[in-house]
Amino acid sequence: MVPAAIAGEERIAIVDGDADSVQIAAFERDRRELIRRGLAFGGAVVAASSIPLLLSVRNAFAAGEADKTILADAIRLERIAVLAYGKAINTGLLSAGVQRIAKLIADHERQHADALTSALTDLGLPGPAQPTVKDIDSVVMGIGDVKSQADILNLAIELETAAVAAYHDAQQKFYDAKLLQAGASIMASEGQHLVVLRQALDKPPVPNAFETGSK
Amino acid sequence: MEIDSFLRDPLSRRRFFAGSGVSIAGGSAMFLAACGDDGADTGRVVPTTPKEAEAADVEILNGALDLELMAVAAYKAGAAKLRGDVLQIGKLFIEQEQEHADALTSAIKDAGGTPNRAKSSYDFPELRSQRDALRFAVEVENTAVAAYIDALPKLTKTDLRGTASAIVTNEAEHLSVLLGALGLPPAPRAFVTGEAG
Repeated sequence: MVPAAIAGEERIAIVDGDADSVQIAAFERDRRELIRRGLAFGGAVVAASSIPLLLSVRNAFAAGEADKTILADAIRLERIAVLAYGKAINTGLLSAGVQRIAKLIADHERQHADALTSALTDLGLPGPAQPTVKDIDSVVMGIGDVKSQADILNLAIELETAAVAAYHDAQQKFYDAKLLQAGASIMASEGQHLVVLRQALDKPPVPNAFETGSK
Repeated sequence: MEIDSFLRDPLSRRRFFAGSGVSIAGGSAMFLAACGDDGADTGRVVPTTPKEAEAADVEILNGALDLELMAVAAYKAGAAKLRGDVLQIGKLFIEQEQEHADALTSAIKDAGGTPNRAKSSYDFPELRSQRDALRFAVEVENTAVAAYIDALPKLTKTDLRGTASAIVTNEAEHLSVLLGALGLPPAPRAFVTGEAG
């Protein structure tokens, strides 16, 4: 199924589906068209540009047939989130209050990564290689181009949305019961991050009754 | 019973939720009933025949439906004490809990089961103020999170696990908003398990 890119007034929604290069190329065409028509604005430019990559991450995350693969993908995603929040904090664009939020969320993401790494170690595998700041763009693009606190908050919402989507897919892939439960508790935490970030942007904090990361 | 006594007394809380058809983490007989002993022992999802799997899923889903119907009633009971923006939050959460109940009802029917109905009344603690209503809502949401996380590995169909995880994340989001409205940290823990505090 080709994911449909739907231009709303302020957001672009992705209909759930597997991503491949053809779909991403199709989305890229839609995105360029949106930008040409001036519908992408402010932080939304950053957000829109992230979506094809969000899809590819989501696909890679969901494609793992074994718990070990899913865990390794999840660890990478969490570590990239830690790096992204660290970079955002260092921009000097955040107010004291938003800095506190970013530090809290970064700490949560670090705890997620540590717990998942322990789980992977328990399965007899070493943790995956540490990502670098350059790897942030593989999840959300534009961290180097942010010009305001709103840009950063929008980027963070995209990042957390990608994480929710990844864990939602993982719920349908994990085999081990404890991993299913750990994944759900982390997914719920990412949902709480979304609430805090949306409130910081004066957006509705809980827009949907089902938080799947697909919007 | 006053909300303070209710929240202080684990036995009262357990009795209330059990009486509402809802079990809570650590004593989730309702959810465990749908899972074979093998599953409990190994911590793994146990394959069963399709018919057994559907029956197990229906039992779990009906437990979740009980919980959602109780949550709708709880928010409606508390709404009378809410004002302004907090009342709007309460109304939104009633709608979202009802959406969960509707989705669960459909899933139960799809699996060939009969959905449970809401109880005619619930013995809620006395809610005298907006703060009481918010604190009770936090308790209800924590119970929901714990119950869903407990139930997730016992669901045999992967799409149902996806739905349950989307609901539990939404309940966690409700918790975040409620905690914030109480002046408490909205994301107090890195792992949301439904534990109070």
